Amino acid sequence: MPSDSNSTSSNYSSGRDDENPNSDPNSKPEPQLEPEPEPEPEPEPNKNPHLIDQSLDALENQLASISMSSRSPTVTFEGEEEDDVESREQPKSMNGSFSEEIEAGGDADSLEVGRHFESDSKAESSGVNGENISFTWLDAPEVDEVERPLSPGSSGYAGEMGSTSGGDEIVDDDEDDSDIRGVENDGVLGSNNQSVSGKRHADEDDASVSWRKRKKHFFILSHSGKPIYSRYGDEYKLAGFSATLQAIISFVENGGDRVNLVRAGKHQVVFLVKGPIYLVCISCTEEPYESLKGQLELLYGQMILILTKSVNRCFEKNPKFDMTSLLGGTDAVFSSLIHSLSWNPATFLHAYSCLPLAYATRQAAASILQDVAGSGVLFALLMCKHKVISLVSAQKASLHPDDILLLSNFIMSSESFRTSESFSPICLPRYNPMAFLYAYVHYFDIDTYVVLLTTSSDAFYHLKDCRIRIEIVLSNSNVLSEVQRSLVDGGMRIEDLLVEPTSRAGAVSSHLGQPRPGAGTPGRTADGSIGIGGPAGLWHFVYRSIYLDQYVSSEFSPPINSLRQQKRLYRAYQRLYASMHEKAIGPHKTQFRRDENYVLLCWVTQDFELFAAFDPLADKALAIKVCNRVCQWVKDVENEIFLLGASPFSW
Amino acid sequence: MASSANKNINAKLVLLGDVGAGKSSLVLRFVKGQFVEFQESTIGAAFFSQTVAVNDATVKFEIWDTAGQERYHSLAPMYYRGAAAAIIVYDITNQASFDRAKKWVQELQAQGNPNMVMALAGNKADMLDGRAVAPEDAQTYAQENGLFFLETSAKTAANVNEIFYEIAKRLPRLQQTPNPSGMVLVDRPTERANSASCCS
Ligand SMILES: Nc1nc2c(ncn2[C@@H]2O[C@H](COP(=O)(O)OP(=O)(O)O)[C@@H](O)[C@H]2O)c(=O)[nH]1
Ligand SMILES: [Mg+2]
Repeated sequence: MPSDSNSTSSNYSSGRDDENPNSDPNSKPEPQLEPEPEPEPEPEPNKNPHLIDQSLDALENQLASISMSSRSPTVTFEGEEEDDVESREQPKSMNGSFSEEIEAGGDADSLEVGRHFESDSKAESSGVNGENISFTWLDAPEVDEVERPLSPGSSGYAGEMGSTSGGDEIVDDDEDDSDIRGVENDGVLGSNNQSVSGKRHADEDDASVSWRKRKKHFFILSHSGKPIYSRYGDEYKLAGFSATLQAIISFVENGGDRVNLVRAGKHQVVFLVKGPIYLVCISCTEEPYESLKGQLELLYGQMILILTKSVNRCFEKNPKFDMTSLLGGTDAVFSSLIHSLSWNPATFLHAYSCLPLAYATRQAAASILQDVAGSGVLFALLMCKHKVISLVSAQKASLHPDDILLLSNFIMSSESFRTSESFSPICLPRYNPMAFLYAYVHYFDIDTYVVLLTTSSDAFYHLKDCRIRIEIVLSNSNVLSEVQRSLVDGGMRIEDLLVEPTSRAGAVSSHLGQPRPGAGTPGRTADGSIGIGGPAGLWHFVYRSIYLDQYVSSEFSPPINSLRQQKRLYRAYQRLYASMHEKAIGPHKTQFRRDENYVLLCWVTQDFELFAAFDPLADKALAIKVCNRVCQWVKDVENEIFLLGASPFSW
Repeated sequence: MASSANKNINAKLVLLGDVGAGKSSLVLRFVKGQFVEFQESTIGAAFFSQTVAVNDATVKFEIWDTAGQERYHSLAPMYYRGAAAAIIVYDITNQASFDRAKKWVQELQAQGNPNMVMALAGNKADMLDGRAVAPEDAQTYAQENGLFFLETSAKTAANVNEIFYEIAKRLPRLQQTPNPSGMVLVDRPTERANSASCCS
């Protein structure tokens, strides 16, 4: 919480007076979430009758065999230009069993049948498609090859085989203890990623049992099948598998389609083709196709941030160009990004979040940034971990939230930036994917850093001077200590949300407009709410302001305790987000889903999107009331939780 | 460029060489007196400064520790242009890094400041067991190309300060304009920067 707690408490005390927006006489004509007319989401009918349940092992054989023949409908492809609308107009049942959609892990939208391929020729021949691609090891599954002595069963990549099948055996690496430092104060987990360093499990290859069991694989490869990046295992050892993926892409591309999705049993294989660069995700996480595709887009963006899109020219000169060396030393950047896909809502909300700070504190930071931005700096960002303290840009330039995400991921995952000030070429893919900008990066303390971006490669000394000016102002106005205090205090807590304004009137301190129990009490005992969450069984919420491109997420608190639960909740939000965004959104749209884990409530208006999770037994009418209250609360404290008057798109 | 005012000299110094040769380790040893076994890869270039006293003057080194990755190769000129000195680093246990060092020397000879003081550092001299580059070969090469050569170890600190002092001693003392603003004076057009890319 920012410096001036007196002033902030007075700022918001009036907000507390109209605690209940429904009874607030002053309430503006703002949207209210009403229980009744509730266009609930349509669970898609069971949508993959034409898909047989296959192990990934079988999929691999198909991948190999489709390069040889093409007839039977075992693997389905979605043509790139397939009309999405059509697939979504499937019969909709209006019952309330939304949980099925979530639990079935299906994503009906992506199941449009594009082309069918035969796959019965499992081990017929050694398919060779294009130069230097050999499938011998795929097609002779019983032969253990020398370089794969540990192959447990047969050919390369397999998610489940015989006794190893079953989701619970699959290793979800995001849950490795080594991977996660713990819950951060700000409600986003592990995304700082000092703990994620370099490639993990580099000893693995596609024959390792451990490699096969990974829940989510990401690959980047070139159109000639050369591996560029693999989340697990060594790129060179995985060359054979990479060639397989490339073969299938080439095959389908030659046929005039683009592969977007292959489904095999629990696994989805999602492809993204970006010129000569192919990105692939193999996942059994049951995330929607759109989400996985968005993740591949981010992965691509991260690569562009490091190299610019002009890498494509290398492939024009030499189609077999080996790109791995260009990405040398950046494994940690990619693993940290992939890791944050599970923990950082910015990855699917396409919005950024701010560190909560008193308005005056943020203003102090903004005005000095504004000062330097007048002097040849294109963008100036003051960040605390992945959160924005303030940002400013030169006239007319705009900074996309995804670029903020990729930039902060890049900086935080590269230990080198902490050693001293640095000046490095980076590309903002949403700003200009073709050219480098130059980033001056300096850490003021372990969490807080400034990034000054310029188009001039000669600007280092100027930017260094700017940083010195910034540093003086920040320390004179105590911004850095306020930042540290905010980190300790955290953000919005559901326990602090009051439905009835009078219920805890006696509280003395104020935090984000709400009275709270004495600071530092680990368990909140005030009204026995521990383990229950907020009012009406509210467990968590995420609020995204559409016109600000910013979101705020409540702190995690019991019963969403474990990292696993938090990640599961994010996945649920992500699914909700995907389902809300698949059609043109009307002015108001709501979803109410109940399953054994949560009640999830989503409310989209022209101004904001609210995602809230409640106890699965929560009362619907009460939950809706609480959502209204949350929105009011966010408005009450928007000065502190958002960067106002500076939407990156509206300068 | 080096500039002098009351015998205080500012000198821009750049470290070049293969990834993993030990550039960052040498700088950290020189500037902070530290060594870490698992030095993280440098991104872009990191800036340090350190002042040394030689004879009658103090030399303030403004040091650019470059990344050495291939993707930044076309951008290297922005770090070495205007430099008064360069240390080209290789790893004595790695022949390829020595070959790479020679390429850097060539590039500096072709592009750089002709008065630049160049040092060749055969680093990781503590790892004698793994030696792959004979010191005689490096010495010969250095002589032929007008560099001075030292074997160094960032780990044991051997010859680390020495190489910087030696550079300081060799810097031309009374060279052109002082540089009060700290701005790098360059003659290159800035369009170059705008169109820069990793493999242009
Ligand atoms: N034994 C030994 N190891 C070194 C020495 N200098 C650097 N290293 C190690 O070599 C690796 C690469 O060093 P680094 O400074 O990052 O190289 P750079 O890429 O040229 O900056 C690191 O693991 C260092 O610990 C040295 O003098 N002796
Ligand atoms: Mg380095």
